[in-house]
Amino acid sequence: MLDSILAGFVTYTKSLGFNFGFLTSVYERTIWIDGISMTLILIAVTIPVSLVGGGLLAAALTSGRKYLSVPARVFVELTRNTPTLVQLMCAFLVVNMLISKALGGAQYNPFSPFFWVVAVVGLHIAAFHAEALRAGIESVPSATLEAARAIGFNRLQILWFVEFPLALRAALPAIVNNLVNLAKLTTVGSAIAVGEVTYASIMIWSQRDNVIELMIVILLLFSLINLLIARTGRWLENKLKVPGLGI
Amino acid sequence: MLNILTFSRVPSLASSTVLPVLGGIAVAGLLWSFFEPESAATLLVWTPYLARGFAMNILISICAIALGSLVGLILGALELSPRALIRFPALVYVQIFRNAPHLVLIFATTYIFPFEILVAGLRIPFPDWIKATIGLAIPASAHIAEIVRGAVQSIPTAQWEAAAGMGFSRSQTLRWIILPQCIKRVLPPWMNLYASISMGTALASLVGVNELLHAATDASTAVQRTDFTVAVYLTVLVWFFVYCYPVARFTQNLERRFAVR
Repeated sequence: MLDSILAGFVTYTKSLGFNFGFLTSVYERTIWIDGISMTLILIAVTIPVSLVGGGLLAAALTSGRKYLSVPARVFVELTRNTPTLVQLMCAFLVVNMLISKALGGAQYNPFSPFFWVVAVVGLHIAAFHAEALRAGIESVPSATLEAARAIGFNRLQILWFVEFPLALRAALPAIVNNLVNLAKLTTVGSAIAVGEVTYASIMIWSQRDNVIELMIVILLLFSLINLLIARTGRWLENKLKVPGLGI
Repeated sequence: MLNILTFSRVPSLASSTVLPVLGGIAVAGLLWSFFEPESAATLLVWTPYLARGFAMNILISICAIALGSLVGLILGALELSPRALIRFPALVYVQIFRNAPHLVLIFATTYIFPFEILVAGLRIPFPDWIKATIGLAIPASAHIAEIVRGAVQSIPTAQWEAAAGMGFSRSQTLRWIILPQCIKRVLPPWMNLYASISMGTALASLVGVNELLHAATDASTAVQRTDFTVAVYLTVLVWFFVYCYPVARFTQNLERRFAVR
């Protein structure tokens, strides 16, 4: 059933001048489908990492304590102003190698390429989230903070119950924008052999020379993913809107 | 008084944190070379090779932003066209390529374009770095189209009418009233985009363009020493930072200065 549908699709697209012949080969089809699901998994895992990291960095940046805010500021500036690919290479070829050496061999190293992609891309986007959240936190009116202090909230409670909810609403458009970039950045995983959709496509087109066909699929896939992220963001914005707050 | 205040906010590299940060990096580098003279000597030997690689990064980024700006300006104008037949293709292009990963576009241009073009019987080589440039210029043009469209649309239409009321002709209005405001709004996001493209040039290493990251990998493979590998990749990180950080600070200053007062 599936095979006949695929064969029909391949013949039909062939009449249009496209070469989707790899779909009839079980081996290549599996690589490709696995690549697409790996991309989706990467995005799904990295988004929460970036959000938690961004929240922590924003909290450190606005804490008013030098020993927290200065390291956070250094990290944010360093991450924002260097290429993700170079960070990934530094993490994978330098940090990962040093860890392997310290543990006495690569076979004892628990960190996989997948881990490094999630960590590097997640923290890279976290730095951008942090900047957006910081601006949101700083724009919370001082009267609101005084009111919170007056009813006995401590520093952390103010951050969690007052500043974060308001900052999140202000920062949401920027955060959604960052998440779109996050989805695009997961493709750097192909540089260290994480089998996501770009990597799988390279393997297929180096055999079949059907770059344009696979490229169309990749572009559509990312358009779809990013449309989904943008729509979800807008839905959240409407849902979280506080009447009269003006955000 | 107002003039003096405005003048004091003129962005300058020296007034911000750029010089202390860069100075700190230089001092850290000197200290490291004092304690690790052997690594530092090897790194010094490889520095011209790395510098040639970095020149390639700068070349690609400048060509890509120039090409992207040119195409993006035209696309932005098309997006503003009242005719749906002209507007629609431009909107589709912008939507697709704004959402496309840079790496994928670089792969696409590298594999799709031939390695040489035949023009009037002449074989003109089509090197990989130009393909990578085009791969970066495509998303850049989509971003610039959006920047231009947003800037022109952000100018209230009442200004056209007010200018006409004051006796400005249409071209004078555009020249003296609308465009200066557009430049103010376009410049900061345009510079952000330039910084982003400069960082994107590192992706060209994956298609074999001999730029900084590629050169670092070459160097680390040739020397085969752990301390040197660490040093050379950190050098790449620092060089990109030193190039992009001043641009970012300058953009922030510009944004502050151009903010509606």
